Amino acid sequence: MEGLEFSGFVGIISLLVILLPLLSFLLILAGQKGRGADLALINISLTFILSVYLFSLLWNKQPFHYQIPWFLIGGIEFKAGILLNNLTVLMMILVSGISVLVHIYSRIYMKGDPNIHRYWAYLGLFCFSMLGLVISDNLLLIYLFWELVGFSSFLLIGFWFTRHAASQAAQKAFIMNRIGDIGFLLGIMIIFSQFQTLDISALFGDNGLMKESRISEGLWISGSRQIPEVWLSIAGIAFFMGAMAKSAQFPLHTWLPDAMEGPTSVSSLIHAATMVAAGVFLIARVYPVFDPFVLNIMVCIGAFTAFMAATIALTQNDIKRILAYSTISQLGFMVMALGIGAYSESIFHLATHAFFKCLLFLAAGSVIHQLHHYRDKLGLDFDCQDIRIMGGLRKGMPIAFIGMCLASAALIGLPLSSGYLSKDAILITAFEWAETRNGIFKILPYLLVLTSWLTAFYISRLVFKVFLAQPKLISREQTEQIKDAPNQMSYVLIILAFFCSFIAFSYNPASFESSWLWNGFSSASIQKVNIYHWLVPLILNIGSLGLLFTTYKIYVKSDGISIPDRNLLYRFSKREWYLNEIYSYLFTVPVEKFSRACYWFDRNFIDALVLKSASLVGVLSGITYWFDRTLVDGLVNATGTLAKWIGRFSRNFQTGKLQHYLITMLLVVLSFFILTYFI
Amino acid sequence: MIPLSHFLIISACLFCIGLYAVLTKKNAIQILIGIEFMINAAVLNFVAFGRYDKENGGGQLFALFAIVLAAAGVAVALAIILNVYKHFKTIDPSKIDKLKD
Amino acid sequence: MLSLLIFLPLVAALLILVLPSRFQQQYKYITLGVSLIQFVLSLFIYLKFNSSSLAAGISKESQYQLVEKLPWIRLNLGNIGSLEIDYFLGIDGLSMPFLILSALVTFVATLASWEIKTKLKAYFSLFLLLNTAVIGVFCALDFFLFYIFYELMLLPLYFLIGIWGGIRREYAAIKFFLYTLFGSVFMLLVIIGLYFSVINPATGNHTFNMILMMDPANYSYGSIFSAIADKNLFGISARLLAFIVLFVAFAIKVPIVPLHTWLPDAHVEAPTPVSIILAGLLLKVGGYGIIRICYSIFPDAAMQSAWWIGLIGVVSILYGALNALAQTDLKRLIAYSSVSHMGFVLLGIASSTTEGVSGAMLQMISHGGLSAMLFFLVGMIYDRVHDREIANFRGLAEIMPQFTAFVIIAFFASLGLPGFSAFMAEAFSLIGAFTSEQVNGLLPRWMAVAASIGILLSAAYFLWTLQRMFFGQTRLKGGEEWLSKLSDVNTREKFALIPLAALALALGIFPSLLFDKMNASVLAFVQLISG
Repeated sequence: MEGLEFSGFVGIISLLVILLPLLSFLLILAGQKGRGADLALINISLTFILSVYLFSLLWNKQPFHYQIPWFLIGGIEFKAGILLNNLTVLMMILVSGISVLVHIYSRIYMKGDPNIHRYWAYLGLFCFSMLGLVISDNLLLIYLFWELVGFSSFLLIGFWFTRHAASQAAQKAFIMNRIGDIGFLLGIMIIFSQFQTLDISALFGDNGLMKESRISEGLWISGSRQIPEVWLSIAGIAFFMGAMAKSAQFPLHTWLPDAMEGPTSVSSLIHAATMVAAGVFLIARVYPVFDPFVLNIMVCIGAFTAFMAATIALTQNDIKRILAYSTISQLGFMVMALGIGAYSESIFHLATHAFFKCLLFLAAGSVIHQLHHYRDKLGLDFDCQDIRIMGGLRKGMPIAFIGMCLASAALIGLPLSSGYLSKDAILITAFEWAETRNGIFKILPYLLVLTSWLTAFYISRLVFKVFLAQPKLISREQTEQIKDAPNQMSYVLIILAFFCSFIAFSYNPASFESSWLWNGFSSASIQKVNIYHWLVPLILNIGSLGLLFTTYKIYVKSDGISIPDRNLLYRFSKREWYLNEIYSYLFTVPVEKFSRACYWFDRNFIDALVLKSASLVGVLSGITYWFDRTLVDGLVNATGTLAKWIGRFSRNFQTGKLQHYLITMLLVVLSFFILTYFI
Repeated sequence: MIPLSHFLIISACLFCIGLYAVLTKKNAIQILIGIEFMINAAVLNFVAFGRYDKENGGGQLFALFAIVLAAAGVAVALAIILNVYKHFKTIDPSKIDKLKD
Repeated sequence: MLSLLIFLPLVAALLILVLPSRFQQQYKYITLGVSLIQFVLSLFIYLKFNSSSLAAGISKESQYQLVEKLPWIRLNLGNIGSLEIDYFLGIDGLSMPFLILSALVTFVATLASWEIKTKLKAYFSLFLLLNTAVIGVFCALDFFLFYIFYELMLLPLYFLIGIWGGIRREYAAIKFFLYTLFGSVFMLLVIIGLYFSVINPATGNHTFNMILMMDPANYSYGSIFSAIADKNLFGISARLLAFIVLFVAFAIKVPIVPLHTWLPDAHVEAPTPVSIILAGLLLKVGGYGIIRICYSIFPDAAMQSAWWIGLIGVVSILYGALNALAQTDLKRLIAYSSVSHMGFVLLGIASSTTEGVSGAMLQMISHGGLSAMLFFLVGMIYDRVHDREIANFRGLAEIMPQFTAFVIIAFFASLGLPGFSAFMAEAFSLIGAFTSEQVNGLLPRWMAVAASIGILLSAAYFLWTLQRMFFGQTRLKGGEEWLSKLSDVNTREKFALIPLAALALALGIFPSLLFDKMNASVLAFVQLISG
């Protein structure tokens, strides 16, 4: 009895958690425009408080599962429900916590926008769907929220819809995500047809159907259902495809840099901290479905994405674009970690990344925001996001500078930062994992190390160029007039900065194994190799520090070392590996052409066939009409005409002249004679 | 002895002349004369063939009969011609085409 | 009850005909009133509907609900027996949802008829006649009666398109008329064949009763469509041939590729309310006919041709979507998207699984509401500026924010955003198609995979349109003049749009509203066809 009450209570609270943001969405749309900001903030704060409460209630406890019947198809009942385990409650406070901060931040950042109420509404919708995604207990519900997240991201990217680039980016984001969604849907189809249920705990629980199913003689068997083994791999790839799109993994990553067209606060919340982590979350949720083959693919794609995005970030000049590629790169780390079975390391990195990447974006946002004001005040014209025109902002904006530095340290993985714990955890595990592999998998950890160094380079380039370098367009005096953003924004940066340090995650700054978060999840058992535990961080950090120093020399001191920016590699990186062009050439344009061809075919072939057959009938009827008129009717007319003609001929004989008659008589008589003579 | 064929040739000539007159002349009197010619051609034939019927004299008898009839016919014809003239003010048969509908 | 539902509009049509023309401004209120009453009645039916498995309907006459059966035509034909045609109405889980849909769509179409300004008397009486016919089709259980209602739909539609349509209205009307007539003429042959094959065991007479046609035991031995005799016609099995003929007749309505070309023309030329009825109801008659008649009467032939039907479904989905992508006229785009969406119906039915058939049914209801909404929205723009060319509009979101909100709802609902009915429908059609290979081996799995690409394409064309027409800086072809004409949504239009959006949302979040009511019937149907 008590248990029932407890479950009802937790159920109601978790429902409240997701419904409060929805409520603010609905209320704002229903007309509470003026109070949008307060409404949204109150609701999201309540959500956060409730999430923290749930977290304290359920962290490292028995998972909570509560279901109600949803609908019935045939003999199969679908249930809607809430599943709260460690992963869920962690994601809940992560999402709601960062949302609260972003809400506070946005009050200033978005001030003065005429459509601000829509902004709050969309944020509410996003929080609703993201939290719903997190707590759902079956794949269909997850899919539902999964797409709703995509939809709210569409709305927010396209928030300034009058800008062509923004609406274009929103469209691109949604469609690329749709590609992943189709994979997800396919995965659902396979799972459903195999197990007749989509309930996650029934499928992937400890004694779930997935574990019970077996593979024999090329068939994947579960109960009475069976399906060729290859579909297991396809299911894995399908789910992974969903994750790839949402978490911006190669080759479905190109939407994320474009998504930076949205407001920066949105970028930090959705496209850095929370939504893009949904892919990783999904992989984590359906983890048992992946067979070794798919896991290997995941490792390769994750590592490759991490590397590729880092190389692109090296040469970008748009501050948000650099951060976007950095996000892609870090997500690559997480995906790779999941692929090698480093489940907890991945989730750990997800959590730390959420904070430091959010901070990076928000700090960048305050730079952009202040520059914007400055530009409008002086009536100048420059691109507020271009790091080439920035420089020397450290003096005026110390808080942003420090925040950025701390976040960058975490991103690079310098000691005492949160990133040091989580990122090095991934790298160490990767090395340990590679011990037992051979071939290309041996190289992958080294690729990650290289990527980490690249990370150190591009992020320090960004920080140095923005804050320390000599200003390019504006004089130093002018630059110093650009002050830190208003307090409300700065407080948010300070709070986030706290979460970039190790303190929030572990009492021991050197060992990820002492982190409460890491211990909350269990990883696949990988043989522990002690040497890596100090060697890898050491090498990494020495390399990173070296690079930091080099970057400082190049961009701040500018003493002669310059980056060659004309060669092939540079352009390759600058143009983002030409992937947009390639996709456009390979997919967008052909599809468009193909659709035109289809329409042409439809008009000129199918419809023409119909019209031709119609005109054929027309021709046929023409022929019968002609036949009718000339032959059938003609015959009748011909008899008449003949009679008339004969009549007219014989009338010639009747001239009324005696002698003519006589001649006729004579001729007739004569002809009789002649005839009788001949016959 | 004159052979029969001579008579027949003469009679045929007479008939043809008469026929020609009937068909071509523009004067009703002349047509009447043409008819007389043709009748007389027939009469000549009667007489000529009468040679083969000496006992009864059938040829001569018929010849006489035909002459009488011809005379009567001429009388009637002349009367008609007179009436036609009265009516149409002409005796040119090609101008009298009231038989045409 | 059903008779009331069917003949109420007819009575109203007569009323309109007798009313003098000076009341012509009141005609639309009469029509609106009728459709409201119908809606209330159908809601009542929905609430009272018995969804237990003992009231599943399908092939058991005793399980139908609200049955009305009266002898209608009895003619002694000497030694052939006597002609037995009944006035036979009844509903089960597969027809009941359509009653609500019909009432709702008619209601919206009536609201859209406010823009009709000429020949009101003729318009509204034809409109009501159409309404009668559509509801009649969904209720009729006697094949002869069904056919009468089925043909009766054509007549008002022909005039509604031909008189109140666009520039090429005569062309479109004739094309539509001939297309559908082509199908139904052959259908008549099959009906006659069935009549002579089926014997009512109760009376010993031949009968047009559809339910009796579903039981193989009622076919007289040696008759042309008897399953046991398995006669051949033109070298193929007579039952298969009959199935194909009936299928083609209904598939033209659905429509399938390549028998779809009447649809874009008819839609583009038809006035808005008629487009709404066409897309919202007429297409559903096709799908309903396939389920109720083709599949139920000839299940064996249906199983044989399942692969082809599935293929047609997939081709329709992809081909329709690709064509939609290439359109420059908004209304034509939506017409092609209908082709694509109705493909899911075929795919779901072809799978012959409970998931697939439920998905197909839901898709029909959902598409009925959504396409009505889409056409209504297009009609709103067209009524304001008489232009529908996508390229002539840009940045509408700024001048018509509420309108844009409705468009976003309609577009995203149609492209299968979860939370809206179309998603559930398409997902379950696909799941059904995918499961089919395991359950009954009818459809290969790749069909489901290929069809899911259609979902991607539908996102592409809807979003592209959204981006081209609604986002960006406002730029209109008609300049200032259009700017003043393009007013936002008014109250009447909201009354039409909100119920449709609510329907899509309700069915998307609580599909049980529909699934629970028809589950027993779907199970019975699958049982029947898979023998």
